[in-house]
Amino acid sequence: MSGNGQVYEVFARKKRADRFEHVGAVSAPNEQLARVYAWQTYDEAKWFEMTVAPRDAFAAVNRPQAPFTLGGPSGSAPTADSR
Amino acid sequence: MTESGFRSAEDLPEGVSEHLGDLILALADNKRLLGIRYSDWLLGAPSVEAGIACSAMAQDEWGHARILYAMLRDFGHDPTALEHERGAGEYHSSELLDRDVASWEEFLALNFLWDTALSVQFEMLAESRYEPIHYKVRKLLDEERFHFDHGQGWTARLLSAEGGRQALTGAFGAAWNACLCWFGAEDDPLIGTLAAHGIVRRDAAGARARWLEQVGPLAAETGLAREADSVWASTREPVWEGYLARRRRAAEGGPDEDSLARVRGDRNRELLMD
Repeated sequence: MSGNGQVYEVFARKKRADRFEHVGAVSAPNEQLARVYAWQTYDEAKWFEMTVAPRDAFAAVNRPQAPFTLGGPSGSAPTADSR
Repeated sequence: MTESGFRSAEDLPEGVSEHLGDLILALADNKRLLGIRYSDWLLGAPSVEAGIACSAMAQDEWGHARILYAMLRDFGHDPTALEHERGAGEYHSSELLDRDVASWEEFLALNFLWDTALSVQFEMLAESRYEPIHYKVRKLLDEERFHFDHGQGWTARLLSAEGGRQALTGAFGAAWNACLCWFGAEDDPLIGTLAAHGIVRRDAAGARARWLEQVGPLAAETGLAREADSVWASTREPVWEGYLARRRRAAEGGPDEDSLARVRGDRNRELLMD
């Protein structure tokens, strides 16, 4: 299989009144699989709502680099691999 | 149509109870076996995330099978005997699940085509006149949504690569007839009776059409389905030869020895002390 596609950041909240928290990231070949992987990987809580977004959709505001890119431009924020 | 429901198998009209018991047993056995096939890919899947998904799907299937076996108590079965004491010839599971899955594309034929075929049959039971199944089916279908997304997402991914498309065409072609037959022939005694009494919502052709609506758009890319006037149809006619309506499979036989030992939990039971 050629590569695992791209990295998606995962956000979730337990109650409607809660704010979304960043719970992790998954690598997936497409958005459909990213949704499945996120739901099944970060199943530590009974989430009211979960959402995913491609990591490269996030734009930097006050820092030179966009978030979730701890290890440099290619990115190495935690994914399921490193949990 | 206002029809009264049935609160237990005892209330079902004559002949219906046996057919419904057989259908629930077929669903339970298929899920138990499918869970094993899923669990075999925890480590061999194309990515860590896919492995986690296989693990979650395996757990779902085993949970569903457990619930279904327990339901069969209402039909006069002993769930423990069903789960642990049957021989291969007594399993009502598809021939697709008789042995190990050799490749990721064969896995996808089970995950996308077969698992969806099972879920469609559950959809048919969601508004069944047999009421004890309602709540269970709803929860089960909620979980199955992710199985469908996984199967569809990976099928789409493989179809986008030349080698993947070719491999999928072979694997889907090999599983296709079993899926068509699962819903039953026009004169299928089991599905026919259940549909006539409102135990399942649609007859064999109706359920098959619903399945084709779900898998058709991607299966079309392997030449197995086509759309005409917004209706999805199979490009192949089902071959019924040898099909056993009661056991919902194409031939006698059953899971191979290794699979059987695993579904029954033979080794684990050796450790039990009474």
